[in-house]
Amino acid sequence: MNSKFSKKYTYLAYILLAPSIIIVGVFLIYPSIQSLYLSFYRTTPFGNRVIFTGFQNFTRLLTSDAYWNSLGRSLTFTAITVVLSLGISLLLAVLTNKNIRGAKIYKSLMIWPFAFSFAFAGTIWGVLLHPNVGIMSYYIELLTGFGFNWVSNGTAAFVLLIIASTWRMIGYNVIFFIAALQNVSPSLLEAAEIDGANGFTKFWRITFPLISPITFFLLVMNTLQVFFLTFGIVDVLTQGGPARATDIVTYKLFRDAFLSMRTGYASAQSIILFVIVAGITIFQFKYAGEKVFYQ
Amino acid sequence: MSNFRFNNVFLHIFLIIAVFLISFPILYAFMVSTLDMNQVYTSPPKVRFGDNMIKNYTEAWNRSNMGRLLFNSAFISIVTALGKIILSISAAFAFVYFGDFKGKNIFFVIILITHMLPLPIRIVPTYQLMDNLNWLDTYYALTIPFFASATGVLLFRQFYLTVPESLLEASLIDGITPLRFLWSILVPLSKNNIVALFTIEFIWVWNQYLWPLVTTNSANVRVVQIGLKMLIPSDAQPEWNVVMAALIMGVIPPLIVYLTLQKSLVEGFALQQDK
Amino acid sequence: MTKKLLIVVLLLSLLVFGSVSSSAQDVIELEFWHAMSGGRTAAVERIVNGFNELHPDINVTAQFTGSYAETLTQGISAVRSGNPPHIIQVYEVGTQTMLDSEAIVPVYEIVGDQIDFGSVIQPISSYYSVGGQLYSMPFNSSTAMLYYNKDAFEEAGIDYTPTTWKDVEEVGLELIDSGAANHGLSFGWPAWIMEQMFAYHNELYANNNNGRDGRADEIYLDSEFGKHVISTWTDLVEKDVIAYGGREYSANQDFLAGEVAMLIQSTSSLSSIMESADFEVGTTFLPRFEGYGIGNSVIGGASLWVMQGHSDEEYQAVVEFFKYLSRTDVTIQWHKDTGYFPATNAAVKQLMDNQWFSDNPNYLTAFLQILSGVSTPASNGVLLGNFVEIRDITDTAIEKAFTGSMSPEAAIEEGAEEANTVLKDYTELFGN
Repeated sequence: MNSKFSKKYTYLAYILLAPSIIIVGVFLIYPSIQSLYLSFYRTTPFGNRVIFTGFQNFTRLLTSDAYWNSLGRSLTFTAITVVLSLGISLLLAVLTNKNIRGAKIYKSLMIWPFAFSFAFAGTIWGVLLHPNVGIMSYYIELLTGFGFNWVSNGTAAFVLLIIASTWRMIGYNVIFFIAALQNVSPSLLEAAEIDGANGFTKFWRITFPLISPITFFLLVMNTLQVFFLTFGIVDVLTQGGPARATDIVTYKLFRDAFLSMRTGYASAQSIILFVIVAGITIFQFKYAGEKVFYQ
Repeated sequence: MSNFRFNNVFLHIFLIIAVFLISFPILYAFMVSTLDMNQVYTSPPKVRFGDNMIKNYTEAWNRSNMGRLLFNSAFISIVTALGKIILSISAAFAFVYFGDFKGKNIFFVIILITHMLPLPIRIVPTYQLMDNLNWLDTYYALTIPFFASATGVLLFRQFYLTVPESLLEASLIDGITPLRFLWSILVPLSKNNIVALFTIEFIWVWNQYLWPLVTTNSANVRVVQIGLKMLIPSDAQPEWNVVMAALIMGVIPPLIVYLTLQKSLVEGFALQQDK
Repeated sequence: MTKKLLIVVLLLSLLVFGSVSSSAQDVIELEFWHAMSGGRTAAVERIVNGFNELHPDINVTAQFTGSYAETLTQGISAVRSGNPPHIIQVYEVGTQTMLDSEAIVPVYEIVGDQIDFGSVIQPISSYYSVGGQLYSMPFNSSTAMLYYNKDAFEEAGIDYTPTTWKDVEEVGLELIDSGAANHGLSFGWPAWIMEQMFAYHNELYANNNNGRDGRADEIYLDSEFGKHVISTWTDLVEKDVIAYGGREYSANQDFLAGEVAMLIQSTSSLSSIMESADFEVGTTFLPRFEGYGIGNSVIGGASLWVMQGHSDEEYQAVVEFFKYLSRTDVTIQWHKDTGYFPATNAAVKQLMDNQWFSDNPNYLTAFLQILSGVSTPASNGVLLGNFVEIRDITDTAIEKAFTGSMSPEAAIEEGAEEANTVLKDYTELFGN
């Protein structure tokens, strides 16, 4: 872009930027630095006693089985959910994108879970799979003999989280996949058909590369959303249990910060999360630049 | 040809099953919201509708103070979405149309950084900040800290970069002021992006959970998400029929926003893909 | 567009500033934050309304602020921002935190001799007293007892109630064999039941006489007794006799649904269980482990703390409210509405005179249980710094043993180690 407003308007650029910069500075950057500061202290719940503990919060965290368990579970959970949800969504988007009757209806019935929060999604699935009243858990037990009891069984609770988040994310992913698929030009596909490519080859050789930017974008977005927002499900249903099976990092952070009220220990966890998120962001910029970006 | 039709039948069967699996939980939630307590707790559970719908919805409405919850959620969602849109447009405009000015790159990086600082990374100090500002349990805490958006700035910046230069050139010849240009030319052009961002942000804020959980406590500012949680008592049998009634009421606004604005969401986004 | 925006902004300012309502000049406003959800919210409202009617110059506003943990968190942040309510209901595990907060006014100081605390039944007053002085106002006190499904017992042909854990096993297996229930027993609040077992058998839970002679910095969770408890329980889980029922009250649902025929739960669930059960409910004392000492079941529930930063006039109003709470009729109503203990001897006497207990023997069980015990340091309840977190650690240890992800001994040892770190950290902060 070569044309621009004359220099005398530069002041206006600053004015226009000011609100964003102030908000980022005050509510994002300053508290983040504060997180780092707090992570070197130990405080009583009421804040009436404070002692400097150096790196103790970090060394404790990094040598704590509970924290590694929490981190491991979060990463496993996120990876499984993201892969499942992206895979299912892509399949559904490809199938609905075909020239078939009722495609529109199918599409609208697939995307509505996106309107549900993770907490709502969790509530619904929690009841569907509830050990006493749930219709799905009842039939699962009837058919397989396996009692799906997420109150007492850690694996069941973990699976419940995966199901509810996957369901919620399908609504989000399908809509973007469909948008991307509609941008794939039919002439390209026709040309490939003339060359004798079958459905799968066509998809793999032509469609998939064309939608890979969006796939990448969804991969990043799904990872961040699932990693951070599943908190809602955990807080409503399992509170990290049973036996820490659903103790994902965000819940542990919340518990240490707002229930046990160990602000220093919680802040140290924030810093570790920052390192993880920074990693993801750098990865994203390195491979996709700022081309596609969304919340 | 017959092969083609055969495939289609399978496709339909598959899609019907898929759609059913995706929609069933919502249908089930609605179903439970029409039952009475005995039906909820009957073993084995059955797929059926009861005739307690009105009673449950009234009960849920009154007990959770649903009117207020919906208002609060709608209010903070709209204000935050609009705040983000206004600030993002302003910032993007400053980045694209004013050439190089001192600090431009640093400002750009500062805004991008928001992407790396999701709430959990700064929750304790941000909470303490709200406390010091006396913002706990107010709308301020639920809206203002969320006005800045890397997503929004990038979205509009990308779009402005694709706006033909001739448009600005012609306007400059007419002696247009920057704000006039922004308001009468760029904003109308960005309609799709605005609606797309609005949709996504509205749903995002509506569905926020962690922040309202820690910063609000009175019914005056309580939002739908927390109101639902409070309907699930830890000390008694949850009345799932009432909970589900509240849930259905609480999801209708984002669902309406989403389904009506969905087309723009895709278009506002597809535009990005074109280049 | 501009117009709409203007309306939005106007609405915003109206709402934000409109919510700060003005209060009448001469009425003393008292804020009371509580954690009584469900049917108990109404019981609290009833008390508050009754008080407000009697005292036109005082207006108590009861506000439900979420779970116990959430209420405590909200209270702390209110104190930190300099705007605390007058009264906060804090659960028993928050007691040490409140004592150390430097943000409370001890109840005995403002009450003086205006309320006769001697009439508070002994186990309750000793739980909330430190050095013989009452720091908070007892409000909702409960303990744990055993509930059982009489119909299921009859169906299985069982004609006695279990008094020991051995009995629980026997009865449980009979229930399962006869098909009267899928499992024998479930319980809520696992860590609390663990604490109950310690107190009930006169075993200390932590050093320094359960933290009453000085801050505790060592927990006895992994003592021989602790290991015996968790191993016995885990063994029963493996035999299907115990079905794990979650951390708070979700086990009640298993009991009400007939999934289990015995339930160890807080007495505060009594009213709601009696109301919803479609079978005859019996109650009895907690089961014992043979060969251990005799103590007492410990008090749970919550008490009311008075916060600093208010005027003398307001504190006098708080005292008026507490006087109302300790009135015999109010105490009795609260007991009947919820199942919590009637906290004064006078109330108990009147309930007996009116044959309430003989007509409703289930309401008497817990009472007899705490009165039949022995008052010792071990049975007066433990005071621990950051008890909230230690509860969570203990719950986790029990869950790990029950789900088989660790052996019971290893799980309890790991829990004890974590809890000890928490206690040492806490003690370090206070420098003694």
